[in-house]
Amino acid sequence: MKKKLMSVLLAGAMVASLVACGSTSADTTTSDNTQTQTESTTTETPAAETTDTASGAAPVRLLNGKPEINDQMQALAAKYQEETGNVLTVETIGGDTNASDELKKMYQADNMPDIFVIEANQAATWDGMLADLSGEDWTNKTGFELIDANMGTIGFPYTVEATALGYNADLLAKAGVDPASLTSPDAWKAACETLDAKKDELGITAVFGWCAEPTNLGWSSGTHVFGQYLDAGLKADDTTYIDLLNDGGKIDEARMKNFAEFIGMMNQYSDPALLIDGTYDNQVAGFKEGKYVFITQGNWCVTSPDDVSFECGFAPYAFEDGINTIIAGPPSYWVAYASGNVDGAKAFFNWCAGDSAQNILVNDAGLVSPFDDCQYEAVNPFYKSMNSYITAGNYSGWHTMLKKDGLQNSTCNVFADYAKGKLDADGFVSTMAQVIADYYAQ
Amino acid sequence: MSTFSIGRKAVSFISLIAGIVLAIAGLGLSIAGTGNASRGAMLIGGVVLFFIGLYLFPTLKHHRSIINFIFLFPLLFAFMVTVIIPLILGIGYSFTDWNGIKMTGVVGLSNYTRMFKQPAFLWSILLTFLFVVFNMILVNLVAFLLALLCTSKIKGLGFFRAAYFLPNLIGGIVLGYIWQFIFSNVVTKFTGTYSMLSDTNTAFLAIIIVYIWQYAGYIMLIYITGLNTIPGDVLEASAIDGANKTQTLFNIKLPMIAPTITICTFLTLTSAFKQFDVNLALTNGKGSVQFLGSYIANGTEMLALNIYTTAVINNDYALGQAKAVLFFIILAVVSIVQVRISNKKEVEL
Repeated sequence: MKKKLMSVLLAGAMVASLVACGSTSADTTTSDNTQTQTESTTTETPAAETTDTASGAAPVRLLNGKPEINDQMQALAAKYQEETGNVLTVETIGGDTNASDELKKMYQADNMPDIFVIEANQAATWDGMLADLSGEDWTNKTGFELIDANMGTIGFPYTVEATALGYNADLLAKAGVDPASLTSPDAWKAACETLDAKKDELGITAVFGWCAEPTNLGWSSGTHVFGQYLDAGLKADDTTYIDLLNDGGKIDEARMKNFAEFIGMMNQYSDPALLIDGTYDNQVAGFKEGKYVFITQGNWCVTSPDDVSFECGFAPYAFEDGINTIIAGPPSYWVAYASGNVDGAKAFFNWCAGDSAQNILVNDAGLVSPFDDCQYEAVNPFYKSMNSYITAGNYSGWHTMLKKDGLQNSTCNVFADYAKGKLDADGFVSTMAQVIADYYAQ
Repeated sequence: MSTFSIGRKAVSFISLIAGIVLAIAGLGLSIAGTGNASRGAMLIGGVVLFFIGLYLFPTLKHHRSIINFIFLFPLLFAFMVTVIIPLILGIGYSFTDWNGIKMTGVVGLSNYTRMFKQPAFLWSILLTFLFVVFNMILVNLVAFLLALLCTSKIKGLGFFRAAYFLPNLIGGIVLGYIWQFIFSNVVTKFTGTYSMLSDTNTAFLAIIIVYIWQYAGYIMLIYITGLNTIPGDVLEASAIDGANKTQTLFNIKLPMIAPTITICTFLTLTSAFKQFDVNLALTNGKGSVQFLGSYIANGTEMLALNIYTTAVINNDYALGQAKAVLFFIILAVVSIVQVRISNKKEVEL
């Protein structure tokens, strides 16, 4: 009898713990949410809830893909609530998980945020599921919104990033090279020869900090540098070469040849220790220390004025005569999920394009504003140069983001082989043509 | 004349029926997405009630089987949920055009025909087989030699055993990054050229080296155990008969540890096939190679990594799933064949 009682007790305990487990797991998710909410709303949660019910606006969930600005995003949410009474919950994905993977899981679990981040070529994946934001006030203040052929205006630009050949203006001035003159292959060649000859005098290791290592930096060569072939010299809305590429993987061989010659020059004048097996950290550190005159990254590689003791700027990849543009635009966008809280998202976007939000995003998060009426100057050392290109209209689009997903993993190897000397310029062109055509054929 | 009271019968049947109803209702609420807060409690309560009913079920003949079932259930349930159901779903997905988000239709066998038309995938299969062959031989050889060393009478035995086993405790990803640093910053100082990881052939060699370094210590431990189980009297008898060291090794020790060799080859074979983390961290599959007349950009990408890239990076989940099904079949066949062959040999020896 005692035994039986014991077993009943034990079984009861087991059942109770099971039930407890079940309910706590449900609890944790809710408490998690409230916790993020409290985080975002700082101290005013109770007051906020009353305003919330009063204004009747449901909270909006935003999935942020930039972990480095998480704190600023939380501050943004707090400010939003303070000014409008609406609740914005910011969830940040980053580090090892990328947002698009996480979103797939969230979609399968029916746990979609109202606003999330996508890159331009991911719009097709979400076809028919994103809200059309056309006609909203903010769309009149920027030319950078993402427009999809089927879904309309879907993407809110939260930042603008630029890429070209970043330069160290002090070194160029010392060597007597005017960056404004670098708009033709010949000018580039002459500049490289001058700089290379004055290596010791300038105290540099090499002219270019260019790294074609494919394993960890494939995104740099395969997406960003390759993007110059697609866009350099073109107006922002000119889609000639990306259209050609997306038409079954065709390339313009003459243009690619010129591009290849230019990359060949970069290979020749690059630091051999960096070119083939370097890392992003070494590349950026070398540029910051003044070891390289040029770097093949964008404004994200030097974000704070404290990082560098010299003036930074951008020079175009002038692989054809007269190319004078840098690539500038939003690398990714915020979109509103059509089955989510679209009105809440729209209200947030309109507020976010305004002054107080831009203050946080520009001054605290170090982003560059895509809005015409933004009064804040970004702190980014590249901003001045970047802005001069944008205001003069000399910028091209980020159409490289519209290429077929994963293409960069193939093309980056061609850059690497070219850097190693396994391919010559013609070999680069023909291999590129074959690799791209094969990838599109799959 | 019944051995069970009416009360017990009633309790049993009522709990069984109520349990099933509650569990189904709870599941129904969840599937319908009503967000009813008590649906979890309903489901768990239902399942528990069902088991109480089952336990009290008025039977003497099947009571023992029922108890067995109740005790086995948690394990079977976990196995179903984590292995069997995903396997079936996965096979199902491979016949569709699922991209991770939506599925517009069933495409039949086209994913399977498409994957065999990709030279990059065929290269991955070939490379994986090469890797398996190299590894199965080299890991076992190195591990066996280390085991011989660690069962001999040298000084500092404990230190050597620990030192050889230690790499196995480091995760593959971390290991990959450490060795990436070694290959591109240390080895280059001696060779004077660029990193081994930059060329497909040398990068493949590099992966093999790292893998042996990681795995040989673990296999060594198993060999040590095997060598220690050889009865002392057999060795003594052979020594008296005048067998020298080589004869003892090849004619006594090796045949005696045949079962250990089976286990070790099996372990290295399957784990080499499933190689993923070192591959990902060390080269991420990069490297160029000319294969079937075309330039392939995934020169060091093995099967598991190829599946991952297809699904996650290229957003082609259905194709990745089809490749995974093939991977499963290959792995199953190879393992079964290998075990069969080894078992026969053990009997013969």
